[in-house]
Amino acid sequence: MSDTLAELHRAGRLAAEYPSVRGLLAELPDDALPRAGRFLARLDPAEVLAAHPATPSTTLYVTGHGTLAALTPALTAEFARHGLLAQVRLSDFDGWVTDLADPGSTLYATLAAAAGPAFALCVLDPAIVIGELKPPWRAEDVHRVLTEKVALVERLAEVFARTTRGATLVLNTLPLPRELTGQLVELRDRARLGAAWREANARLLRLDRPEVVVVDLDPLLADGIRARDPRQSVYAKAHLSGELLAGYAREVGHLARQAAGLAKKCLVLDLDETLWGGVLGEVGPEGIEVAEGYRGEAFHRFQRVVKQLGSQGVLLAAVSKNDQEPVARTLREHPGMLLREEDFAQVRANWRPKHENLAELARDLNLGVDSFVFADDSPFECGLVRRELPGVAVVQVSGEPALHVEALLRDGWFDVPRLTAEDLARPARYREEHARQSFLESFDSLEAYLRELDIEVRVAPAEPAQLARVSQITLRTNQFNLTTRRLPPAEVRALTEDPDARVLTIASADRFGDNGLVGAVLLRRDGDVLRVENFLLSCRVFARGIEQAVLGAVLAHARGSGVREVRAGYRRTAKNGKVADFYPRAGFETVSAGPAEAEFRHDLARTPDAVPHIRLSADFGEQSPAGRRPAAVGPEQDTP
Amino acid sequence: MISVDEFVSLLRDELALPVTAEDLGRALDAVDSWDSVHLLALCTILERETGRTLPFAEVLEAPSLAAVYRLATAS
Repeated sequence: MSDTLAELHRAGRLAAEYPSVRGLLAELPDDALPRAGRFLARLDPAEVLAAHPATPSTTLYVTGHGTLAALTPALTAEFARHGLLAQVRLSDFDGWVTDLADPGSTLYATLAAAAGPAFALCVLDPAIVIGELKPPWRAEDVHRVLTEKVALVERLAEVFARTTRGATLVLNTLPLPRELTGQLVELRDRARLGAAWREANARLLRLDRPEVVVVDLDPLLADGIRARDPRQSVYAKAHLSGELLAGYAREVGHLARQAAGLAKKCLVLDLDETLWGGVLGEVGPEGIEVAEGYRGEAFHRFQRVVKQLGSQGVLLAAVSKNDQEPVARTLREHPGMLLREEDFAQVRANWRPKHENLAELARDLNLGVDSFVFADDSPFECGLVRRELPGVAVVQVSGEPALHVEALLRDGWFDVPRLTAEDLARPARYREEHARQSFLESFDSLEAYLRELDIEVRVAPAEPAQLARVSQITLRTNQFNLTTRRLPPAEVRALTEDPDARVLTIASADRFGDNGLVGAVLLRRDGDVLRVENFLLSCRVFARGIEQAVLGAVLAHARGSGVREVRAGYRRTAKNGKVADFYPRAGFETVSAGPAEAEFRHDLARTPDAVPHIRLSADFGEQSPAGRRPAAVGPEQDTP
Repeated sequence: MISVDEFVSLLRDELALPVTAEDLGRALDAVDSWDSVHLLALCTILERETGRTLPFAEVLEAPSLAAVYRLATAS
């Protein structure tokens, strides 16, 4: 399989075939990835972008202390696994302090010039401490050096925060080599060294800045990756092993996936041999392994982990080749099951191909299939889904259920920089959505349904506590996202501090419950022109009139505050085609329209009518003598 | 023990280097697509393939791929 990669490389077709690389890598074992990475690292990213301009590309500036050349192929392979393109630039040997301390450095120039997400990887290793120890030394000397180094890192992180906008600094904890602890013969002093080392790592991990991520290497080491190869360290100054750098590259790949807006939202599970042992249709509910016995305990452990993910906003669904009734009965009544019917946004038990079920599930949940992770033990089903729905992340679990958890968690599919209240409430919101759908089916017309839904919408300036959620909306919303400009939390904060910019949140509620913060509007005032820099709405709530009501309020606000015209742009992506005519439908004229982007203007001569079934309140953050009070824009009416 | 042909295959298939047996005697700087960082990966791969321990310090000073081969196969 990997030979396909080698053949493509030799035939000079790797750039042209880049979109298929992700699928080729998905079937490779981990130990084949370094080799794949060496082939992929031969590719010129510019060639890939020339052949496939829509490939999400990430700029990585690698700096640090030791020899880090092995990172380039490792990053290239890990990024390609997610369909991303890594543009790696390696700094000079041991250049990390000057790179980060000097705002005029190549590091900062590279990040500033990046077209997409940009990361500075500052790879720290134990040699930054060991190199400063001269015999005779004791634990207190190590403690002193560590304290200085961590303080230095903290100062550099400050410079980074001041100098960059939207870029991320990635740091890592320092592995503690036995070669160091073993040099202290007094056990008490050795213990002090161990404590000081952990305290330094803990200080790094506590660096709670929105633009900094600290990769904790301890869990990788605990899984059996060796930290260093003494010969490579001594002779080539490669102070971290190739295996550890590969593990680190994997973690960075996850960060880049989040930054590119490719976070996964829904875990779709097979049932037989994935969630429980045995085939339900053959052994019946009483025969499945789910709590008791060796295998039963292994499946139970897997269910606990799935439940834990579900408690943090990951939507759960089941797709199984089974009859519907016994599956429903097992989920409802089996005494050993930890996961129950209500834990799932949807359970699809039928005999149709799984990729069709996944596509329908995506439609029902109003999500892209690209936001799915699909776990199944059958190589046939996994292969079929990979082929038919290449955007789905497929986790093939093995016949050994004790390894299910590791397989599921291997790629941090659902990682987010900050969990928000919205995340925690998401599964409940989707269950409410299910109730809304049933409610809808009882109406003859959509209008009658919307009237009965009693939708309330609130537009207001983002509060500090909402900035993480606003950032998340820009990172995770793909369909109703007019420009798909992703904003890390630090950049959202910068916008709220910009007097010409407005960051507005959209919250909604209806008779089935509070939908919470479901969208954002980013405005910029430039003289007598108001620009809608982006308009975003969660897929859970669109097509209910909320977007028209909010845009109408923006136009009414513009007219009321002396604006001559409102401008707005649209940038096409693979996902946001359905909002291409959002502005023209609201009465905007087209200024220019090309295949990739379009520009619109509204002269405010006539603003759209209010949307009758929506109760809207809008606060645009203008200070009035009476203080900040929301102005009612839409009709304040009670439901009939 | 690996043959010269196997060594060339390793360079081509593992390191993605477009080399032939004729390139082995060249100075490393004159080998197409060569970068000193390949030596580290090459050491790891050769140790894995031959099951022998390589003298790293000498490999890092090797003037050519042929010299690396000799170190990897010397008894």
